[in-house]
Amino acid sequence: MNRYRDNWLTSLFKVWRREFYLVFHDAGVLLFFFALPLMYPVVYTIIYNPEVIRDMPVAVVDHSRTAQSRELARMVDATDGLEVYQYAPDMGAARRMMNEKEVFGILEIPADYARCIGRGEQANVTYYADVSLLLRYRQALLNLTDVQLALATRYQQEKIASGGLLLQDIGGSPVDVQSVMMGDPTQGFASFIMPGVLVLILHQSLILGVTMLAGGAAERRRRNGGFDPMAVDAPPTATILGKVLCYVAIYIPMSLYALHFVPWMFTLPHLESMLDCLIFIFPMLIAASMLGLCVASFVTEREASLMVVVFTSVVFLFLSGLTWPRYAMSPFWQLIGDCIPATWGVEGFIRLNSNGATFAQESHPTLMLWTLAAVYFSVAWLLVRRFGLFGTRRAVR
Amino acid sequence: MLTLLKQSLAYGWRRLCSRKLYIAAMVVVPVAFAIYFVDLMKEGLPLKVPVSVVDLDHSQLSRRIARNLNAAELIDIRHSDLSYSEALDRVRRGETFGFFLIPDNFERDAVGGAGATLTFYSDMTVFVPGTLAFKGFKTQAVTTAGGLVATTLTSMGVNESTAQSLLQPVVISNNPIGNPWLNYLIYLANSFIPSVLALMAMLMTSYTICDEIKRQTSPQWLREAGGSMFIALMGKLLPQWVIMTVVGFFCQAVLYGFCHSPLNCPLWHMLLAMALMVMGSQAFAVIVCCAVPNLRLSLSICSLTGILTFSIAAYSFPVPSMYPAVGIFSYILPMRYYFLIYADQALNGVPLYYSRWYYAALLMFPLVAMLPLRRLRKHCLNPVYVP
Repeated sequence: MNRYRDNWLTSLFKVWRREFYLVFHDAGVLLFFFALPLMYPVVYTIIYNPEVIRDMPVAVVDHSRTAQSRELARMVDATDGLEVYQYAPDMGAARRMMNEKEVFGILEIPADYARCIGRGEQANVTYYADVSLLLRYRQALLNLTDVQLALATRYQQEKIASGGLLLQDIGGSPVDVQSVMMGDPTQGFASFIMPGVLVLILHQSLILGVTMLAGGAAERRRRNGGFDPMAVDAPPTATILGKVLCYVAIYIPMSLYALHFVPWMFTLPHLESMLDCLIFIFPMLIAASMLGLCVASFVTEREASLMVVVFTSVVFLFLSGLTWPRYAMSPFWQLIGDCIPATWGVEGFIRLNSNGATFAQESHPTLMLWTLAAVYFSVAWLLVRRFGLFGTRRAVR
Repeated sequence: MLTLLKQSLAYGWRRLCSRKLYIAAMVVVPVAFAIYFVDLMKEGLPLKVPVSVVDLDHSQLSRRIARNLNAAELIDIRHSDLSYSEALDRVRRGETFGFFLIPDNFERDAVGGAGATLTFYSDMTVFVPGTLAFKGFKTQAVTTAGGLVATTLTSMGVNESTAQSLLQPVVISNNPIGNPWLNYLIYLANSFIPSVLALMAMLMTSYTICDEIKRQTSPQWLREAGGSMFIALMGKLLPQWVIMTVVGFFCQAVLYGFCHSPLNCPLWHMLLAMALMVMGSQAFAVIVCCAVPNLRLSLSICSLTGILTFSIAAYSFPVPSMYPAVGIFSYILPMRYYFLIYADQALNGVPLYYSRWYYAALLMFPLVAMLPLRRLRKHCLNPVYVP
């Protein structure tokens, strides 16, 4: 019996056309496919756009009260990251300021600070940091190290000059140390996190939309006694590819916007060419659509897609290695991460985007993305063949 | 009144048990996430960052620097590269997170006082390994430079302790309060695990309320409660609150018991915060449902805010550094107050007095949610499903 009257290409086109119709006649899907990838990148970047912490208030407990200790406090105040909020008479008072969240750190200068420097002994200053946010601690650490180095240079020069040694003999130090921060020279937070988040937004919104479409189909089938009037009778491969082609066609402009236009708009690190970016992200869109079609078999109701998919964003964010590097994960979690298209998408894209890697250098993530696309295609094909998923007819659950 | 409440509770419980999805959302997802998170970061700090070293000098001194680098706790030299471009290529391929460059003729120039430069490159596209590599490199570079100066000074007749104080006249020691190991699990798990619970509480609340409207069973739901929206909501949300609070306590048990995350306050401070936070999240979702009594829209709003919570409640980037117009939104989220209570109570162990407003703010959510109930009642009486 010839179930499929049209030839393969015609049915592919019909599925593709019908899917477009379904997408554009569903407000919920439109929200996920268009509003989400358009709005979220902007919202997120605006949250993180100040990039670095400036003038974090600290309290100074000065037991020394000398010209030298005041100079130290002034130098701390002069850094870009720290600000001397107030002098506290003792540690108790400083503690109270910290409890009131007026300051986020306490600098305690010992009573013998000036004496130690005068005698040529090492002076020890203590900094107590609030670490509810590690970013604050990091900022204080970097700035205090700078202050420490600046003081060292200053007192060295004084000492050497007064000791009768020739300055050029030492010249500060015969070995210079130079540090280069790759990818994110300002160490700003938005520049670090946004490239990864952009890819994740595309991935998650795509899966949300695909599962919601499938939930809608399941509901139509339930209403019509196992018959979906909107489905197209087509061979399994044509059904899957037609749907995926529709999603990818929608997401290519979205990817251009999110991955190319948004970094440009906010002047985030952005080194890759538009073409490289598109060629790289193309397999991720395919793999993510295929994954969405596989997940869709668990979704029997339109809105249930939200319950199933939303929390995975956080899971995928961590699996991608953006916050917690992948080399430190156990093999099990690495394997799970390997199965998520977003992992490779995030990994490859941040290197293309921020580190200026070429497409050839990202061959491994690209290969993995195509592999995932093939694997999820096979799974989806099995689901369609065995369980009649997305077909016109399917038994009511 | 009491019989109505009982009747409503029975109805709510029946509906709650009717679908596996609810159990999955309330219990399985938060518990599984807690286990996932704790297992993922069980090392606390991802030490031994893979890096490479480019030794163009091949002298006795440069080999010693490379050996010392490899002995550092923070980094692990996986490769010795022949050139800058080879090392850079590795970073771009994601094999390493930085490299240390020793220029040619380094020993000759350094010992001879001609001036040599040690350069290190850290990959900041991934913050944690990048920062750790930076720290490891910097320590080594500064010690090397300092050691050479000390040698020069002693050879000029300066005694060693004077040389030391010349090199570092002032030392600022850093004391991170509460988390001295800078353990990443402690830092992130205390905010992210409850946040997932809050997200699921919001989704569950809006799903179960608006599902009644979608299925047009909301008049029946109201009838069981004698027509009172408040009692109907109590009947529906109280069982969920109990279940999710218990799940929350389990998460806290994992954190404070299993992970030994700091708990510098009496336990009940945090238990109370958890119970109030779950209630606050439910109340937040009720407010959303009152504003848009439509299943898909209210769920979408709840998931969008739930996911934004992870950023805007400022678990990583502080509110005072955000634009004020953006930062203000963090204070409409229950999780923000839970996070502040955690930082105050469990982490820093400050007196309860300083957290009083945070508890009060959490209590405000259910109270505010009672205001617009009439609107929800109207929609429940005339359920219209908009897909």
